[in-house]
Amino acid sequence: MHYPLFIRIQSMILMSSSVIFPFYLLLVRQIGDSYAQFGLAYGLFTLTSAFAYLGIGRLSDRFGDRFLLMVHTFGMALILLYVPIVTEISHVYLIQIIMGVLGALQKNTEKTVLARQDMAPTTIGRTVGHYHFKTSLWSAFGIIAAGYLIDFLTIGSLFYLISACYFYVTLRLWFSRPRPLKK
Amino acid sequence: MKRMIIFPVIVLYMAAFSWSVWQYQHPKPISSDQSKLLPTRIKQVRSAQSPDELTDWIRQAKRNHETISIAGLQHSQGGHTYLADTTVLDMTNYDMILDYAPKQRRITVQSGVTWAEIQQRIQPDGLAIQVMQSQNIFTVGGALSVNVHGRDIRYGSLLDTVESFRLLNADGHIVNVSRTEHPDLFRLVPGGYGLFGVILDVTFKLTEDEWYTEQTIALDYREYPTYFQQRVLDDADVRMHIGRISVAPDGFFKEMYVTNYRKTDRTIPIEDEPLKQETIIALPKALLGLSRYSEFGKNQLWSFQKSYFLKQSGTFQSRNNVMRSDSAFMDYTSPSRTELLQEYFVPVESFVPYIDQLRSILTTEELNVLNITIRYVERDESAVLSYAKQDMFALVWLINTETDAASIRLTKRIVQKLINATLDHHGSYYLPYYPFATRAQFQQAYPKAASFQAAKQQYDPEAIFMNQFYIDYFK
Repeated sequence: MHYPLFIRIQSMILMSSSVIFPFYLLLVRQIGDSYAQFGLAYGLFTLTSAFAYLGIGRLSDRFGDRFLLMVHTFGMALILLYVPIVTEISHVYLIQIIMGVLGALQKNTEKTVLARQDMAPTTIGRTVGHYHFKTSLWSAFGIIAAGYLIDFLTIGSLFYLISACYFYVTLRLWFSRPRPLKK
Repeated sequence: MKRMIIFPVIVLYMAAFSWSVWQYQHPKPISSDQSKLLPTRIKQVRSAQSPDELTDWIRQAKRNHETISIAGLQHSQGGHTYLADTTVLDMTNYDMILDYAPKQRRITVQSGVTWAEIQQRIQPDGLAIQVMQSQNIFTVGGALSVNVHGRDIRYGSLLDTVESFRLLNADGHIVNVSRTEHPDLFRLVPGGYGLFGVILDVTFKLTEDEWYTEQTIALDYREYPTYFQQRVLDDADVRMHIGRISVAPDGFFKEMYVTNYRKTDRTIPIEDEPLKQETIIALPKALLGLSRYSEFGKNQLWSFQKSYFLKQSGTFQSRNNVMRSDSAFMDYTSPSRTELLQEYFVPVESFVPYIDQLRSILTTEELNVLNITIRYVERDESAVLSYAKQDMFALVWLINTETDAASIRLTKRIVQKLINATLDHHGSYYLPYYPFATRAQFQQAYPKAASFQAAKQQYDPEAIFMNQFYIDYFK
C-alpha cells in the first residue's frame, strides 16, 4: 500500500474515531442503566477483537491491507448510521461486537502495513514514531474540534458527519492504485 | 468495471444514510408511568382539547384499525395508560370546570381536572369533596377509571358519589351514563381503566367542609380490629380514618398508630381556613431517604412520624385540608431504583392472622418496604371490577426496588407470595399497580373478570381502547 496515502487514511480514521468516541461513551452509558451493562458492553468489544485478530491476521496476508482497511471504513460508515437511532441495550451489545471486529481490522492493518514497509533496521523506530506523531496529531485536532462542533451540532448529526467521513475514506481507498504487497 | 461495483455501494450507503436520518428525526415517543418501569414506544401522544377533536381521533383510529390508550397524570403503574404502538390521549389539558352549583352541592368537571383544582374552586363556598385519594394530585378521569377510595369511612368508592358522566364510546358517539341511563356502563367504566371509552366529563356530589379534630393513638395490631369497630365505625362523629403499621425493625408488623378525624362543632367560619400548602419537605424527605437504605433510617422515620402524629392530636383541621396530604416529599428519582405501590384488601376480621402471615413472609424474604398505611373500605360491589367484596382494610405499601430485571423478578416473587397470603384470607388487591400478580391471582381476586371481558368485547368489538393491563390479564 502506498505509504503516504496510508498515513493520510490512518490520520482520517483516527481523527474520526476520536471525534465520536466520547459521545459514543455517553450514549452507551445513557442507554444502559448500570455500570455492569456498561462494563459488559466494553468487555464484549475487547473480547470480540481478541478472537477476531486470529482470523484477520490470515485474511490480511491473503486479501491485502487495502481491502481490509476498506472493510473497516465501510463497516464503520454503516454502523455509525445505526448508532444515533439505537434505543435498546441489546442492540448496543451487538454494535459493540461488530465494532470489536472492525476495530481489530484497523489495528491489525495498521501494524501489517508498517511491517511491510522497506525499512532499514536502524530507522524502524523513527518511522513508527513518525507515523504515531502524524496520526496522533490529527486525533488531537479531532478531539478538540469535536468539543467546539458539539455546540453547533446535535450528537446525532456528529455521528452522521463522521459516518460520511468514513465513507469518503472508503472511496479514497477504492480509487487508490493498489500496489503489490510484497516487493 | 471498478466504477460499476462502486455504484451500488454508494447507493446502498446513501439509502442507509437517509433511512437513519429519517428514523432519527421521527423517534417514536416513549410513554411510561410514575414508576418508570414499563417504558414503551407508543405511536404518538395527542393532547385532547375538545370533544369534537376527540371524536375525530376515535373515528380515525377505527378507520385505520389503530388502538388508543387514555392517560391522565399516569400514576397508575401497570401499563393502564399506554401500550406499544398505540395513540395515547393526554387528557391533562382537558381540564375545565363546566358547571358548579354550590347550593345543590354538585359539580361537573372535564376529566383532566385535578382534585386540587376542584378544592381551589369549592373551598370558598364551604364545600369539600366526598371521596378522593389521600392526595389531591390526580385527575378526576384517572381516579374514576380506577374507582378510587380514600380516607373517608362514611362513603364507599368514588363511584358512590358520581351522579353521571359522559362517555365517548368506541363508535365515536357521546353517551350519557348514570344509574338510570346505560346502567351497565355505569358499573363498567369506573374501575374500567379506560377500556370502554373516553370519560369526557363527570358530575358528582360534594359535601360540606367540616372541622375535624385529629386524634392519634398508638396501639398493638391485635387490638386494632376491635378498636376500629367500637371506637371508629360505631362512633358516628369519626368521619375519616387512617392507620399505620411499623415496617421498621422496631415493632415490625406489630406496632401501629391510627388517626381519626372527628367532627367537631367548632364555630370559626371554615371558609376562612386557607388550603394548606406543602411547605416542610426537607426533613421528611431526608428521613424517607435514610429509610430507603438502612434499618436505622427506618427506625428513625417510624419514631419521627409516630411522635409527630401523636403530638398533632387535638389540633383542628378542615376536611379540605385533610384531603390534601403531602406528596412532594415522596418524589423520587434514581436511575437504577424506583418506588412502587401495592395495595391489598383484607376482610376486617382477618386482619390479625393476616398481619401475622405478612410478618412471617417478610422475616424470611428481603423486600424494601418503606411504609404501609391502612384505610377502610366498606363493601361496595357497584363496579364490576370491584375490590371491596366485603368490609375491608386496605393496606397501601410503598416499596423501593432496583429496576434491573433480576431485582424485578425477585420483587415479583415476593409480591406474589404477599398476594397469595391476601387471597388466602379472602382478600383482593388493587389493580392500578405494577402487574406482579399472575393471571390466576387476578381471576381469584376479581371473579367477575370474565363478564368484564365479555362486556368489553360487546362495547368495543374492534378493541380500539387498549392498554398493557388488558393485554396482561385478558388477552
